[in-house]
Amino acid sequence: MAAIARSSSPSPLLGLALPAALVAVWEVLGRAGVVPQGILPAPSLVAATWWDWAVGPSGMGLNPYLGTWFETVLFSARRVFTGFAAAIALGVPLGIMIGWNRLVAGAFDPLIQSLRPIPITAWLPFSIAVFGIRDAGAVFLIGLGAFFPIVVNTTAGARDTPRNLIRAARMMGASERQLLLRVVLPNALPAIFTGMRLGLGIAWTAVIVAEIVAVKSGLGYVLWDAYYVGRMDVVIADMVSIGIAGFLSDRILVAIGHRVLHWKQFGAR
Amino acid sequence: MAAVDIAGVRKVFGGRAGEVEALAAIDMALVEGEFACILGPSGCGKSTLLNIIAGFEGLTAGEARVFGEGVARPGPDRAVVFQEASLFPWLTVWDNVTFGPRMLGRPKEETDALARKYLGLVGLAGFENHLPDQLSGGMKQRVGIARCLILSPRVFLMDEPFGALDAQTRMQMQELLLHVWDETRGTVLFITHDIDEAIFLADTVYVMTARPGRIRSRIPIDLPRPRTIEVLTDPRFNALRADILHQIREEASKATREFEEAERSARR
Repeated sequence: MAAIARSSSPSPLLGLALPAALVAVWEVLGRAGVVPQGILPAPSLVAATWWDWAVGPSGMGLNPYLGTWFETVLFSARRVFTGFAAAIALGVPLGIMIGWNRLVAGAFDPLIQSLRPIPITAWLPFSIAVFGIRDAGAVFLIGLGAFFPIVVNTTAGARDTPRNLIRAARMMGASERQLLLRVVLPNALPAIFTGMRLGLGIAWTAVIVAEIVAVKSGLGYVLWDAYYVGRMDVVIADMVSIGIAGFLSDRILVAIGHRVLHWKQFGAR
Repeated sequence: MAAVDIAGVRKVFGGRAGEVEALAAIDMALVEGEFACILGPSGCGKSTLLNIIAGFEGLTAGEARVFGEGVARPGPDRAVVFQEASLFPWLTVWDNVTFGPRMLGRPKEETDALARKYLGLVGLAGFENHLPDQLSGGMKQRVGIARCLILSPRVFLMDEPFGALDAQTRMQMQELLLHVWDETRGTVLFITHDIDEAIFLADTVYVMTARPGRIRSRIPIDLPRPRTIEVLTDPRFNALRADILHQIREEASKATREFEEAERSARR
C-alpha cells in the first residue's frame, strides 16, 4: 500500500502548504509588531501596495508608484526580450558553426571560453563607459549574459550530430548548407532550448542589475529607488514581480520548446 | 561496363597507436542488376569497403568506380541503407522518405507519387505521419529502404541492414527485400556476416579474409529465382552453406590466432 501511495504523484496542494504557512507566520509577526513594518511589512500591506501600484490612478501627487506597475514591467520585459533575441540571433548561428567547423572552433572557442568566466556584474562599468546611462547598456549586459549559455549549448548540440545522420543526408544529395539547416540545426535544437532557458534566467538577473545602476526605469530601478525612500512594501512587491516575470517567461519558452521539439515526446530518448 | 568496379583497393587507417591495414588489395566487379553479398568475419573491413564505394571514406591505393566514374564523395547515385536505420528523428516517415528529392529540388508531384509508390512497396502505407521513434526496428529499416528507392540510385549499398533485427523480423525483411528487388532490379552490394542471409539473397557471394581484408573467394549462387523460404531446405542451399561455413571458420580462427600472437608479442 505504501508503495502505491508513493508512486502516485502528490497533490499540488502539498507544494502550496509550506509557502502558505510562511506567509501566515510572516503576517502574524508583522501585525504583532515583532518585526518593524519599515523593515519587513506584512503580506497584507505588500498586497495593498501592489494593488495601488498596479491599478491606482497614476500621477496622483505623493505616491510616485501609483498605476505604474504595468509600464515598469514592460520596460524590463522589453529589455530582456531585446537582449535575449540578440543573444539567440548571434549565439545560435555561431554555436552551430563552432560545433560544425574546426576552423571556426579554433578561431572562436578560446575567445568565448576566456570571456565566459567574467561575471555579468563585472561588465557594468565597461557597459556604462561605452553606452552611457541608456537602454543600450542594459540590452548589452542582458545579451552578453544570455549569449554564453546559448552559444556553448548550441555548440555541444551541433557537435554530437550522429555521424550516420550526416552521412545519410550527404548520400541523399544534401549540400553543406542544407546539411547545416536540415540536420545539424534540428539535431542541436534540444540543446539550444536548454541553453536558452539558462540564458533567459541570466537575462532577468542582468536586467535588474543594469536597471539598478545604468538606467532610470524598470523593475530594477524601482527596486533600488523604493529602497532608498524606505518603501520596503514596494521593494517586496517588486521582488515578487520579478519572480513572476521570470517564471512566466520561462513557461512561455518551455511551451514553445514543446511545440518545436514535438518529436522528443515519443520514444525512450 | 561494370556497375561497380573495385581495382586493387587498399585502405590503411593511421592512428597514434600505429597504422592498421583494413583492406589489403580488393578486386571485384559487379554487373548491372547483380545482387552481391560480401560475407566476412567481424573486423575484416567489409564495412570499410562499402564506405569507400559510398564516398564516406577515402582509399589509400587503388580505384573504386561506379559505372565508370571514380568515387569522390557521397551522392544519390549510390544509396546507402545503414545498420541502424539512421532516420531523422524529427521528421515523419513521409518527410524522411522525401528528404532526398527535396534536397535535390526534384518536382513535388513526381516525388509525392514516388513516395506513395515506394511506401506501398515496403508495406508502410498508412504510416506516413508516424515519427521514427514510433516504429519498430523492422519498420524503420523499411523507411530506410524506401528513402533509397526514391532516389533512383544506380547502386544500392546495404551495410548489415538487418543485423540488429530479431530472427523473425530479419527473415521477413529478407523476403521483402527480394520482392522489392524483383520489382526494381537494381545493383545491390549487401554486407553481412550471416551465411544464410547471403546465400538466400545473392547472385554472388564474396567471402572476405580476416584483416587485412582480401576477397578469398567468389561464389556464384545458382539457386532459382524468385526465391522463397523453401529454398532454405534445398540440398543445394545446404551444400553452399557447408562450403561457405568452412571458409568462414578458417578465417575466423586465423583472426583469433593472429590476435593471440599479437598479444603474446606485445607481452614480450
